Amino acid sequence: MSRPASTSFFSPRRVLIIAQSTVTQLVRMKIFYFLAPVALLFLGMQYFDQIWYNGPEVIQPEQELRMHKNICLGTMMLFGCLFAVVSTALLIPGDIEDRTLYTILCKPVPRLDYLVGKLLGVMAVIFIAMLVMDVLMVVTLHYRTEAKLVEATEYMKNIGYPEREIEAGRADIASQGPTLILQFGVMSHFLKASVLAAVALLISTFSTSTLFTIATSAMIWVIGEFQSIARDGLFHDPLLGDMPTLAERIVGTLISLVFPDFQLFSSISDAAARAENILPVDMAQLGGLAALYIGIYVVLSWFVFSDKEF
Amino acid sequence: MSDAAAVEVKNLVKDFKGAFNGGKVHAVKGVSLRIAPGEVYGLIGPNGSGKSTTMKAVLGLVAPTSGSCSIFGRNSRKVDSRMEVGFLPENPYFYKHLTAAETVRFYGKLCGMGGRKLKERIEELLELVGLQDARNRRLKGFSKGMLQRIGLAQAMVQDPRLLVLDEPTAGVDPMGSREIRDLILELKNRGITVFLCSHLLEQVQQICDRVGIIHQGVLVNEGRLDDLISLENRTELILENASADLLEQIQSLVEVTHESKVVSSGNARTTLEDLFLRETKSKKERKRVSK
Repeated sequence: MSRPASTSFFSPRRVLIIAQSTVTQLVRMKIFYFLAPVALLFLGMQYFDQIWYNGPEVIQPEQELRMHKNICLGTMMLFGCLFAVVSTALLIPGDIEDRTLYTILCKPVPRLDYLVGKLLGVMAVIFIAMLVMDVLMVVTLHYRTEAKLVEATEYMKNIGYPEREIEAGRADIASQGPTLILQFGVMSHFLKASVLAAVALLISTFSTSTLFTIATSAMIWVIGEFQSIARDGLFHDPLLGDMPTLAERIVGTLISLVFPDFQLFSSISDAAARAENILPVDMAQLGGLAALYIGIYVVLSWFVFSDKEF
Repeated sequence: MSDAAAVEVKNLVKDFKGAFNGGKVHAVKGVSLRIAPGEVYGLIGPNGSGKSTTMKAVLGLVAPTSGSCSIFGRNSRKVDSRMEVGFLPENPYFYKHLTAAETVRFYGKLCGMGGRKLKERIEELLELVGLQDARNRRLKGFSKGMLQRIGLAQAMVQDPRLLVLDEPTAGVDPMGSREIRDLILELKNRGITVFLCSHLLEQVQQICDRVGIIHQGVLVNEGRLDDLISLENRTELILENASADLLEQIQSLVEVTHESKVVSSGNARTTLEDLFLRETKSKKERKRVSK
């Protein structure tokens, strides 16, 4: 048998094999079952009509559609992040406890390949789950928007709105339907969940239990959601208009490196729910930031994991 | 490279931190051993003697505190060395969601195998370990013995020159244990080096060329099995169909010499394992005939 002289430092093929196995593992663990209640929630929202009034007899269907989007995006964010933390926390400690890791690392598999493979596997499953939830959201939102358009047009005609105002009203309602901008919101949640999975990966490389990994990752998630507010409160008083000092800026940067600033991701999602204009360059920047966070956490994970003894 | 030992451990020392920084635990204290290519080497010792730590150091799963380990001349800490080695851990667990064939395929792919070659290798190995009928069953329903066999199959997937087996027959019934033993002997005939740890001393005696005894982290004895277990001042004579007269004559002859004496005599005995296998096999055969 011909034998390779050396094993490459990093092999995308091996990473893909481990990622593929991780996807199979998570799929066969039946984790997609959580999509059933999500589907029920999204479908059930169709029948949860709420009439909004703004002044006498003025219907506001846009707000109803916005609420629909907020609930859908919120659910996607919650499940995506929960899924990222729990599944990543289960994988590596599980492999160590079961000693499956011994047999993998005794093959010519660099530890970096293993870590990146596991992370990519989790990200692939998050992507699939997000895609399914996204399709559900778009379909339900489409039907709801169509229904609202008919309902509002009829209402406006009945009370004698001029044709031009009816068209303007219809355009306002349609802008709250499924649009490309809404997809940016979904994408921001996917990126947030991916960053959180990378955080959980880092913690699982030195943690001794699944519970510790889940609890710590969840804590970092919460800190990440509120750290920008905390930073503003600590280092900058908007009422006084004072600028942060150099030391405060360094501390602030360090905090935002250790704890990812999830508020940045949420702000894109909130803007998408309000159907505000989001530029592709903003999305590219958010993608770059997520890649930076993931890169930092993977390198740190590798640093810890490369000398870990089993 | 061809002259390199299959396994070479030089002055291996491994210390672990004690609980709450309460000093060091000296797991292995200066162990040195060399396993030649094609040899079957057994490392035996009581629990906590440093067997598994030595094995893990050879596999690169733990870093030596001092000393070194190499596989076919390559440092064990380097990933390259693992192309030549297959490992079966004690009580192995694999991904329960995979089937037997998928498990072997997964490990084969990790070793860079693929396509038709891997497909054929999977079939060959499943047949070798007797799991071809369970090839599409998920591992979560496997017995301990079956897991041990699939463990052997994954260890051998890339056709390694060295197999490291940690308690290869733990939890396996006598028949399966015999099959694994025969398999190790077959691998030995193919020129594969085997490094194994076992508590089953009789089995080690049956299959190993050389044995090392480790106790409290120190290799207290090592050598060719025949040399280690033979009692120089004793001779064994096994007769078949010997009459009482003949035995009496032999006894008298021995007594005449005054220098020798008969230490014991009686019927030669089979092993319990052989008896068990004979009985269970014959019962199975009887059942098959009656069907």
